[in-house]
Amino acid sequence: MSATTMDAKAAMDTFVRETGGWIASQLEACTRCGICASACHFYQSTGNPDFAPVWKVELLRRAYEQRFSPIGRILTALGVRKRITDEDLLAWSRVVYEACTVCNKCALVCPMGIQLGPLIHDVRTGLAAAGAVPDDLMAAVNKQVEEGSPLGVTDDVFEERIEWVSDEWDVEIPVDREGADTLVVFSSFEIMKFPENIADIARILNAAGESWTLSTKGREVVNFGFYEGSAEHTTLFIDRVLDGANELGVKRVMVTECGHAYDALRWTAPNLVEMPDGLEITHIVAVLDELVKAGRITLKTGAAEDDGGVTFHDACKIQRRGGHIEEPRRLLKILAPESFREMTPNREAAICCGGGGGVIAIKSADPQRYAAFGLKLDQMRAAEADTVVMACSNCRLQFLDGVQHFGSDVKVRGLSEMVAAALDGTPASDGQSE
Amino acid sequence: MRCRHSGSFTHEEVQALATFLNDYRGRLLIDLRDAAIEECERHIKNFRPMMPTAAIFGAPIDPSVLDIPEMWYAHEVRAFETEDEALAWLREQ
Repeated sequence: MSATTMDAKAAMDTFVRETGGWIASQLEACTRCGICASACHFYQSTGNPDFAPVWKVELLRRAYEQRFSPIGRILTALGVRKRITDEDLLAWSRVVYEACTVCNKCALVCPMGIQLGPLIHDVRTGLAAAGAVPDDLMAAVNKQVEEGSPLGVTDDVFEERIEWVSDEWDVEIPVDREGADTLVVFSSFEIMKFPENIADIARILNAAGESWTLSTKGREVVNFGFYEGSAEHTTLFIDRVLDGANELGVKRVMVTECGHAYDALRWTAPNLVEMPDGLEITHIVAVLDELVKAGRITLKTGAAEDDGGVTFHDACKIQRRGGHIEEPRRLLKILAPESFREMTPNREAAICCGGGGGVIAIKSADPQRYAAFGLKLDQMRAAEADTVVMACSNCRLQFLDGVQHFGSDVKVRGLSEMVAAALDGTPASDGQSE
Repeated sequence: MRCRHSGSFTHEEVQALATFLNDYRGRLLIDLRDAAIEECERHIKNFRPMMPTAAIFGAPIDPSVLDIPEMWYAHEVRAFETEDEALAWLREQ
C-alpha cells in the first residue's frame, strides 16, 4: 500500500454515499471535547493524539462538511478547507486500522452518546474503497476470498485438522450432518492454533446431547471483510456461513470463540443480507450458560481452583457489544468460586486486549498493540491473577503473544476449555498436562 | 527446554502436548534420536502452528513438514543435522 496506488476520490465518494441522517446527526452532535480519548487503550498507552477516536473520524467529518454544509462547500471551493488527499488516506489508514480495534469503548464515555465505533468502521469503508487497507490485512482478506479462510485453511486442511482432533482427542465431530439443530462455526485461528478448543466444544455439546454439526461450506466464522470495512467482502463471507446453514437446515448458528465474527453475523448480517427465517445466531458463551442452567451438563464445583487467582477478560464484541456479561461469570463462579476475581475496569467498561479488529494481523501495528496490552497486563497484576480466561480466540492470540512479549507467567485459557475440563465424568483436555 | 520422546504417543500424551505448547513461553530443543520418526513428523506437522521457537535434530525429517504458510505460525522451527548446530541457532533466537 502506498499513496501512489490510492484513490482519494473513491474514498470521498464512499464517505458521501455512506453519509445519511444517522451519520450526519452523529457528526453534528460532536463537540470535539476529546473525552473519547480517555477511553481509548491505544491513546492511553501511547499518548499519541492521532489515536484519539475523535481524530479517527476526522476524514468522515471533513467529507461531510465539504459536501453537505453550504459554508464547507464555499470554503473548500476557495481552498480554505483542505480536500482529502492520498497522503491523508495513508495517514488515516495507519490510525484506523493499526491503532483501533473498533472496540467502541469510546462511545461509552462520550457525553453526547456518539457511536464512534461504527463511525470508525465507516472510515474503514472509505479507505477500503480507496485501496488504503494495510497490506497484511488485505492479504488475509484476499486469502479468505480465494481459499475460504484468512489463514489459508482450505477444504483439505479443514478436513485433515478435524479428523486429527477427532482422532487424538477421541471425540465425535459431526460434519455436514443434515437436519442437525445447531451449526457450529469455528474460526481458522481455533482450527490451526487451538485444536483443543474444537475438541472441548465437541465434548461439551456431545455431553449435553446437542444435535450439532460442522459445515464444510460454512466452515470459517472469521470475517476479514468486516475488519477491512468492505460491505462486499463482509457479505461474501457471511453468505458462506448462511449457505452452509441453509444447506443443512439448521435452526441456529453458534459462533465459537470469536468476537468480531459474532458482531458480523448477529448484527451486521441482517443489514447486509436477507437472513433465513427463524435462524438464530448465538455465541458459545450463551450456549454454555444455557446448558448448565438447563441441567444438560453438570460442572464440578471448584474444578479450576488449582489455577490460582482466576480472572475473566471481557471481549469488546462479546461482552460490551453482545451483552454476554453475566454468563461467563456464572460459569466461573462454579469453576473457581474461591479464586475468581475481577480486573478493574470490567464488564462493559473493560478495556480491549489491543489485538482485535484485525490489528493483530498487521505487523506494523505491533508497537501500539503491545503498548495497549501493557494496560491489560497491569490490570491482571493488580487483580493478582494467575490465570486469565476469555471467550474470544482473537483475544487469546493477543494474550498469548502479549504475555510472552512481556515475560509474564499468567496462564491464558479459553472458557470452553475450562468448562470441558470441569464436565462431570468426562476426561478433561487440560487435566492431563505434565 | 530439551524434549525427547521414544515410542508411540498415546492420545493423552498428544493432548498433554497441546496444553504444554499453549503454556510454554521458552524455546525448545527437540531431540529425535530414538524417536519413531514417521509418527514424530506427523505430530510436528499437526502442532507446527502452535510451536514455540524450536530446533530439531537427531533424525532427518521431511522438509515439507516444516514448510507451511507463514500465517499459520508465530515462531520459527528449523531442523538441523547435529545438536551443536541446533543449539547454536537456538541460542541466537
